[in-house]
Amino acid sequence: MSKLVRNAGNGLTRRNLLKGAALGAAALSVPATVRSAFAQGDGTVRVGFIGPRSGPLGIFGEGDSFLVEQVGRHLADGIQSGDRRYGLQLVLGDTQSDPVRAAQVARDMINSENLDLVITSSTPETVNPVADACEAAGMPCLSTTAPWESFYFGRGARPGEPSPFRWTYHFCFGVGNFTRLYADQWSQVETNRRVGILAPNDADGNAIRMMLLPELEAAGFTIIDAGPYENGTTDFTQQINLFRSENCEIFNCFPFPPDFPVFWRQAAQRGYAQQVKVCQMAKAGLFAAELEALGPLGYGLHAGAYWHPLFPFTSSSTGLTCEMLAAAHEGVVGKQWNQQLGANASLLDATVAAIASASDPKDKTAMASALSMLKCDTAVGEIDFTSGPVANCATTGLVGVQWVKAESGPYEFDLNIVSNADHPFVPVTGQMTSYTVQG
Amino acid sequence: MLEAIVQGVLLGGYYAVIAAGLSLMLGVVRFINLAHGDLAVLGAYLALAAIAFLGLPVWWAFALVLPVMAGIGWGLQRFLFARTLEGGFLLPLLATFGLGAVLQNGMQGIFGSETRSLANYMGNLSWAGWQLPFGLYVGVLPVLTFAAAVIVLGGLQVMLSFTKIGRAMRATSTDPEAAELQGVDARRVQRVATAIAFMLAGLAGMFLAMRAQVTPYAGPAQLIFAFQAVIIGGIGSLWGTLIGGIALGVAQSLGASISAQWFQLAGHFLFFVVLAIRMSSAGPTRERVLVWFDRIADALRLRTRGERKHAD
Repeated sequence: MSKLVRNAGNGLTRRNLLKGAALGAAALSVPATVRSAFAQGDGTVRVGFIGPRSGPLGIFGEGDSFLVEQVGRHLADGIQSGDRRYGLQLVLGDTQSDPVRAAQVARDMINSENLDLVITSSTPETVNPVADACEAAGMPCLSTTAPWESFYFGRGARPGEPSPFRWTYHFCFGVGNFTRLYADQWSQVETNRRVGILAPNDADGNAIRMMLLPELEAAGFTIIDAGPYENGTTDFTQQINLFRSENCEIFNCFPFPPDFPVFWRQAAQRGYAQQVKVCQMAKAGLFAAELEALGPLGYGLHAGAYWHPLFPFTSSSTGLTCEMLAAAHEGVVGKQWNQQLGANASLLDATVAAIASASDPKDKTAMASALSMLKCDTAVGEIDFTSGPVANCATTGLVGVQWVKAESGPYEFDLNIVSNADHPFVPVTGQMTSYTVQG
Repeated sequence: MLEAIVQGVLLGGYYAVIAAGLSLMLGVVRFINLAHGDLAVLGAYLALAAIAFLGLPVWWAFALVLPVMAGIGWGLQRFLFARTLEGGFLLPLLATFGLGAVLQNGMQGIFGSETRSLANYMGNLSWAGWQLPFGLYVGVLPVLTFAAAVIVLGGLQVMLSFTKIGRAMRATSTDPEAAELQGVDARRVQRVATAIAFMLAGLAGMFLAMRAQVTPYAGPAQLIFAFQAVIIGGIGSLWGTLIGGIALGVAQSLGASISAQWFQLAGHFLFFVVLAIRMSSAGPTRERVLVWFDRIADALRLRTRGERKHAD
């Protein structure tokens, strides 16, 4: 198995490919089934782990085979649940970054793999179809890394009404976290508090318009929304001129990730980037590969992060601290850590905790009930389903980060934690600075 | 306003390059290459592949792509298009339509569906700009693109006007049979024209990937822009193509200054206005519609040789 994992992270060409595509990644050759060295049959809990491991979202799954290997090593003796020990068997499924394929993979695995639990992560396009398939099949499902509003309201739940979901549970940040984070992060440098908003005409963009912008206005910012545009737009002259003439010293965007470099280069070309003091990316700017593609123009860009190696937490499923997790990933896979590594570790942490706390992990009703009451420590912090914003959801925190030119080391960019108002347990690692072109 | 016009003019340079290839094949080889936009995207992907897999510096990759595209054009004309041309006007259309589908799916199969950009490899050039008086900003790259467009179109015009192969092209474009009677190898001339058109498509695709980004399915939209630039500027004139490209770019840019969604709409609107004006100059309504269709058919050489002889 370790040989397979090393293969998955090989090669210079793959690295170049990644540089070429902001979010690109060639298919990971992940072993289809990974067994812990424990008994088969009734004593083994079978968990389907579905995520994007190839296609445009493939970078989200970059660390999965590494994580599975670590979990297999750490839990070789199984998981204690009540008075029994259970083995853990993880079955990997690849959505190929396609929501339709995600639903199909989930259905196929539920029907043929004899699973006790499904876990999934990375964007609503992955989580929602998988959760829908599980809800329909009566299969317990735990997910993360998609704003909880997308998971909950995006699948048909109504505000103020009881949760329609019985089998599916989700933990992640939400719009409320953004408001807290931005209000703090944007106050760290002197600005005129005028915010240019670039949000496309898609589900996320429209949700941001409806839910986040009014809250930011209430927090004392002047919002200048350039209006919806189509993903894949190649000319941003109108938006840039608007932000420039309105003198928006804060810029906040929610683009389809490949659109961000196009916008930001044009903004630098037309003199707007030179005017910006805070450039807050959301959706884009999660991964160092995107920043490497921008080069020096990326030094000093701001973003939110749901995980960082300096989170003071330990991943219980791998037995590693966050710092060790990142270092081990860089050693084994040969690539810089990324946020999803910690988020997927937290998903596995919560899975192990749910198995340990279930009255009978092989019983689906008992497993769902364990999920609904789950309260545990993970690599992203504590999650607590008993005090969530709505039933079936628990929230995690966001920290404000700034991409800076690395002072040393093999990688071009470092990520500083500059704001922790939304996640007070995490220490700040650097003072936020204004954006200046080329750092 | 001023800025929108300047940006539109610079954008027009790109449209002119992609339209010139389409126009050249229309004039000399006499069919509409529906895969033209996909060929542009192919050029961009070839450049990306040369950089990623061969490790070539950016400008060397560009230099390599142009002869490769020319070779593909030559080969396709020799072994595919020339044969379909013998089967009437519909067959080359269908063949290039199919070629476009093959290219789109082939590129997705090989390169994946991610958006890719050449700007990642060009360092500061991808965003460097100049600040001019009146609060005007222009990017270095759009200016270079526009300059390259003017040089390429100018060079092509010189070649058509003063060289032997250029004269042979004009002769073939006017009447292939008469040209052959004068000793012109029309098939060879058509191969050369296709090779040049493919080079122009590849160049346009690289411009697109430098300025923004490409996906395997980005081709058809570019084909539409190329078509509009050809129609607005008038078929068969390289400088007309440049004017058409600039007019399209300015219309889109001005449209976008009203609203982001008006970018494409304004371009389409200009296209229809130009079509309407050209139709109205042709006589009474019913007749001028017929005349215009006739003109298009004639310009596009949609009628087969036999029919034309019969009509004459």
